[in-house]
Amino acid sequence: MRVPRTDCFDQLEPLLAQVSHPARYLNHEWGAVESQEGPFHVCMMYADVYEVGQPNLGIAILYNELNRAEGISCERAYLPWTDLSALMREAGVPLLSLETSSPVASFDVVGFTLAHELVATNIIEALDLAGIPIRAEDRDDDDPIIFAGGPSAWNCEPLCAMFDAVLLGDGEEEIVDAARAVRDARAAGLSRADVLRELSHVQGLYIPSLYDVVVDETSTRHGYAVPKPGEDVPDTVYKRCIPSLADTDPCPQKMVPYMGIVQDRLAIEVLRGCARGCRFCQAGMTYRPVRERPADQVVQAAVEGLATTGYDEASLSSLSTTDHSQCREILLRLDERLRDQGVRVSIPSQRLDSFGVDMAAAVSGSRRGGLTFAPEAGTQRLRDVINKNVTEDDLENAARNAFQQGWRRMKLYYMMGLPTETDEDVVAIIRQAQHVLDIGREVVGKGYRSGVTVSISVAVFVPKCYTPFQWCGQLHMDEVRRRQQLLLHSAKDRDLRISYHDAKVSVVEAALSKMGRDGFELVYGAWQRGCRFDAWTSEFRYDLWVEAGQAMGIDLEELAAEPTPMDARLPWDHTSPGVSKGFLKREWRRAVQGVTTPDCTRNSCQGCGVCPVLGVDNMIAGERHG
Amino acid sequence: MADGLYRLRVSYRKDGRLAYLGHLEVLNTLERSIRRAGLPFSVGNGFARRMRVQFSQALPVGASSEGEYFDVMLTEEVPTGEALDMLRRATPSHLGPLQAAYVVRKVPALEAWLNRSVWRLHVMGEGICPEALDEALGLVRRAGSITYMRGEKPRTIELGPTLVGWEFVGARDDGTCVEMLLDTRSSNLGALRPAVLLDAAFGQPPLASSRQSYVRVCRSAQWHEENGERMEPFDETFCASLT
Repeated sequence: MRVPRTDCFDQLEPLLAQVSHPARYLNHEWGAVESQEGPFHVCMMYADVYEVGQPNLGIAILYNELNRAEGISCERAYLPWTDLSALMREAGVPLLSLETSSPVASFDVVGFTLAHELVATNIIEALDLAGIPIRAEDRDDDDPIIFAGGPSAWNCEPLCAMFDAVLLGDGEEEIVDAARAVRDARAAGLSRADVLRELSHVQGLYIPSLYDVVVDETSTRHGYAVPKPGEDVPDTVYKRCIPSLADTDPCPQKMVPYMGIVQDRLAIEVLRGCARGCRFCQAGMTYRPVRERPADQVVQAAVEGLATTGYDEASLSSLSTTDHSQCREILLRLDERLRDQGVRVSIPSQRLDSFGVDMAAAVSGSRRGGLTFAPEAGTQRLRDVINKNVTEDDLENAARNAFQQGWRRMKLYYMMGLPTETDEDVVAIIRQAQHVLDIGREVVGKGYRSGVTVSISVAVFVPKCYTPFQWCGQLHMDEVRRRQQLLLHSAKDRDLRISYHDAKVSVVEAALSKMGRDGFELVYGAWQRGCRFDAWTSEFRYDLWVEAGQAMGIDLEELAAEPTPMDARLPWDHTSPGVSKGFLKREWRRAVQGVTTPDCTRNSCQGCGVCPVLGVDNMIAGERHG
Repeated sequence: MADGLYRLRVSYRKDGRLAYLGHLEVLNTLERSIRRAGLPFSVGNGFARRMRVQFSQALPVGASSEGEYFDVMLTEEVPTGEALDMLRRATPSHLGPLQAAYVVRKVPALEAWLNRSVWRLHVMGEGICPEALDEALGLVRRAGSITYMRGEKPRTIELGPTLVGWEFVGARDDGTCVEMLLDTRSSNLGALRPAVLLDAAFGQPPLASSRQSYVRVCRSAQWHEENGERMEPFDETFCASLT
């Protein structure tokens, strides 16, 4: 028997005076859909606190599409911070939705966003707080159907014991089709198992319970998935892909939060997909093809969106905004329309060349905060390995241009532990940053008052599925630490500021990226030991993850460092973004040889396989240069 | 106006679940409401190019109000009725604007100028009666100051300049709720938070057998006091056409 759908805010309210940031739990924000008549109810859940989940553009898109669909209503839910969840458990208050304060367990469908690997224990926490059986196999016919999807769905196997269905690819149409399929199947009185069989016919939906995991001599110890005998499901589920971004709502973010959130601005998605082909980048492989939103639509959406939300900042978001063929035109037109309104336009990252700096100058007006570039590697050799097609000259020109245009603070992003990396590559990070600093001093002048600083942020490389580096082991933690010390000791200039990621966090990410369904035991064990909010530095408990690994007989560090044979069947082979394994293998071989592969939006097709497999094509609004 | 700017003063409520908004959250929400309303607001010339708007003193998180205020500088003189309608359409109802009027440019900033507040308090708990609470508050007042923790730092508030008085309005016979009015004064030395005063009172012997579970706090009025004279935020000496 499903939990009844009732407004429980009166149970929550007495607890709000006792917790930090009660604004997280208030709902009724400007632009929220208050009419939730259903009769079919979906709850989109981001398993982190409100201020982290609310800016998620994916949820905003799905929320609007579902609420627009006849007979379907959609609400949101976030995970309460630990102070409130403790009080809720004590008072017997279950996890509630935001719009109507209804128990999450009362919904027909609950959808989780897989934003990154470290959200894993929070999903268990959310299901537990909601009172929904954690494992899909323990749910009754009446329990909500649990969906998942998002950027981290490409290896969903470690978490899929919790999910009834995983949505692959673009969710705009897929989520509505999936919700309707559940509604119709339930209306027809089908059992839970048969509802899931119906769902398996929706393109892009992967139903974990209809697949078996096989571990044999063709696989790694994490196995691979095959359809269960007698089940009419595809061997490989391909992602859903919308052919044209121009046919989607250009401004899905209609809600204005009360509290400060992590990206507190209007976001307009100006393009989806990136074909630069960086070999470490999962998004670059899984969001293909490239689809640009036309300039007219971007400008109109930004102007209207700012007027209806009251935001004073619009962000032109994408994987590589300055690659948009109409980038310059968009920024000039927005400047013309929004000048004198105290409105700021921002672009999330700059292309590493003078064009990127010019575009940053175009959006920043007279302000000159910091400017961020991502060379990713210190030597040309290693940049060729990772297919980061930027040269020393690009960086030098970009830096010189930026200092000449008034910037004083430069931030450079790098990765450590990339395949084939040597000590020379590590030391070269410092040499390169020092060179940028020297350019700044040459252009601006020396001394403290010039204010020239260069910050270096060095992440630890995590091999991700569906990239050419998916077969690599992660650099062993001891070696990461040695190279981090080498980096620190190579820097002599106090105006070079160095920060690097915690290698322990990366080990957990790498392990979860690599494992199959056996990974759920690890995640569940970590949660049972108290792991929550693992993406929060203050909350991350590596010792508990190690304990959970030991309990199932695995050494996390060894697991993360383990390479995968290239001919092995992989745990994620059956959930595909369309990029072919042959292409990934070829890219790996080219990486080892230091041969780069050009961007297919500026050159000819490079044969990744996405367009023919999915029946789509790059859609470039103008003409790309550079 | 000499420089073509007009200072529109608006009073607004803060109630319902939005009582739990912090001061910065209220400021952000109302700034976005002003933008959504389409009012011709003026933008400062500073680095950040912010809207030129000033607010009255912060309310504690969880406190509601029947009368908060902001002044926004406009570049055009929109009739006050029209401005109020535009704002109402663009503002969450629990922060809804109540009245508006143009004020002369040279009146002081609201935050420091509104130095008197009256609070309506519902003190909830067990075994609470007005007589014991009155006695406990008297003991606190005689002590002269309260030292309390704000986050991890101790703070001391002097009661002489900040606590004006209190009066009881009603009480439940079962001792679960006392309703009272609290009159406070703020200055550059600080402002007395009602919850701080009550916490101190519940630490006194007359309330030793009582338990405070929750205080509902509502600011019911604010005004400026100078030389014993009371001046309202919409006083006709410096504002016109109150709507």
